[in-house]
Amino acid sequence: MIDLRNQAAIVGYGHVPFGRRGEHAEKGHLRLVIEAITAACADAGISPQDVDGYSSYYTPIDPPELFEAFGAKRLRYTAQTWGGGGASMCGAFQNAAMAVATGQADYVVVHKVMTMEPGARYGQAFGQMGQGIPAIGGPFQFSVPYGLQAPGQMFALAARRHMHLYGTTTEQLAHVTMHAREMAVNNPQARFRTPITIEDHHASQMIADPLRLFDFCMETDYGCAVVITSAERAQDGPNPPAYIAAAGVGAPFRFGNALMSFYNQPDEDFASSGQRAVSAELYRLARMGLSDMDVAMVYDHFTAMVIMSLEDFGFCPKGEGGPYVEDGNLGLDGPLPVNPHGGNLAEAYTHGMSHVNEAVRQIRGTAVNQVPGATNVLVVGGAGPSPTSGMILTGDAT
Amino acid sequence: MSEQMPGLPGPRPDATTEGYWTAAGRGELVVQRCSACGVDRHPPTEVCYVCSSLDWSWEPHSGHGTVYSYTWVERPIVPALAALGAYNTTVVELDATSGVVRILSRVTDVERDDLAVGLAVEVHFDPAGEGVALPVFRPRSPGGGS
Repeated sequence: MIDLRNQAAIVGYGHVPFGRRGEHAEKGHLRLVIEAITAACADAGISPQDVDGYSSYYTPIDPPELFEAFGAKRLRYTAQTWGGGGASMCGAFQNAAMAVATGQADYVVVHKVMTMEPGARYGQAFGQMGQGIPAIGGPFQFSVPYGLQAPGQMFALAARRHMHLYGTTTEQLAHVTMHAREMAVNNPQARFRTPITIEDHHASQMIADPLRLFDFCMETDYGCAVVITSAERAQDGPNPPAYIAAAGVGAPFRFGNALMSFYNQPDEDFASSGQRAVSAELYRLARMGLSDMDVAMVYDHFTAMVIMSLEDFGFCPKGEGGPYVEDGNLGLDGPLPVNPHGGNLAEAYTHGMSHVNEAVRQIRGTAVNQVPGATNVLVVGGAGPSPTSGMILTGDAT
Repeated sequence: MSEQMPGLPGPRPDATTEGYWTAAGRGELVVQRCSACGVDRHPPTEVCYVCSSLDWSWEPHSGHGTVYSYTWVERPIVPALAALGAYNTTVVELDATSGVVRILSRVTDVERDDLAVGLAVEVHFDPAGEGVALPVFRPRSPGGGS
């Protein structure tokens, strides 16, 4: 058996300045990706022409287009993982790590880009399928005709069940956003840098009860890219490598396509992020547990799903995520600081890429809210469509 | 197009799901049952998740169930729905099935404060195109039948 632990590393990252929805629409996806990859390669100390592999989790810009645009010497590896939005984001890093560790490619780029056309909104991907047509087929024939058409509505079903089973409160949801805002105060690239109170949260518009506007992340125009290479090549770069101790995707028994079109999960998984299977596998492969982590990046598209991810990754017992966040455990002085950059709720929503960026900064020691001596970083992919994902990065490959 | 919620599409049945929707069009709730091991499942699929059998039939169901989870949508995606005010989408767990069977649906005839996890409901139907209807639910009075 080939052990991939610490055999690949993130050696560069780059992104364009985060924009509001539609702000980068004129630039277009290709330009945004090119700029991001150019920045990531500069950070890695390589030329974009050295990139010979691309690993994706949904992208409007296909590898051949980039390979051609940069005039790369040769293309050797391409991969794509499934799971909508940022659910399987760490799977793209898993595929990249396997490629460089086994010599299928020298430098693999994971990129992600999003810019919204005027009038378009996040979450409309399947909402729009229900507009202006008399009938809808496929898996959505059982959900869209009832008006379940957006991620926030799906996750509201999980949140409501979690509240019913465990007594989770909207005050506890508010604490997740309050924490994110507090972390973003120091972050000059964050969108929302003003602290909020529980009252502010409760005064924000109800969108899909029990989820309010301040339980939703923002919409961001962005382009992000990360360079992965083998542990051996990583020694040549200008920055300390962030080794991939483990990365993977998964879903538990009968998780189906999360709550987009399937509702028969076992009770403990319905009111969950669907990440039990992933977390167990990550800790096994990394030969580390949560107690070995110094800081965690938890995909925070919706406050309620952060609470459930914390449970699935073992921050607290199942059902105790609400009290865990309410007691201030996410903070820099808590047992395991979470999202010191402000996350999707306060910095930017990049389908997970900005969480990886922050994980790399923490390992390099260059974060604005630096956790002293941070070495091992947990990255949690988006709760949502199967498969979801996770990754453990480390600065210590010994 | 749903009659109760104009602006939302109806279902477009396929070979696997046609029996479910046309039964609803006749005013009958059916559940897919594995012919080999007897486990019930929904949404309809081609293969049994327990025993891998490809054979199945439609089994009539009483239409009784309980609310498992729900949300009240206050800001709809489809502009036409905004005029209806907040609407719910509700997961209903059906009574007396072999294995868990939950259906995403809507509870009608219910005040917002009365919709709750555990509420007993019974099926009725929202016509949604030629020959098909959406199973929807309403509160069931104690001891009352459908």
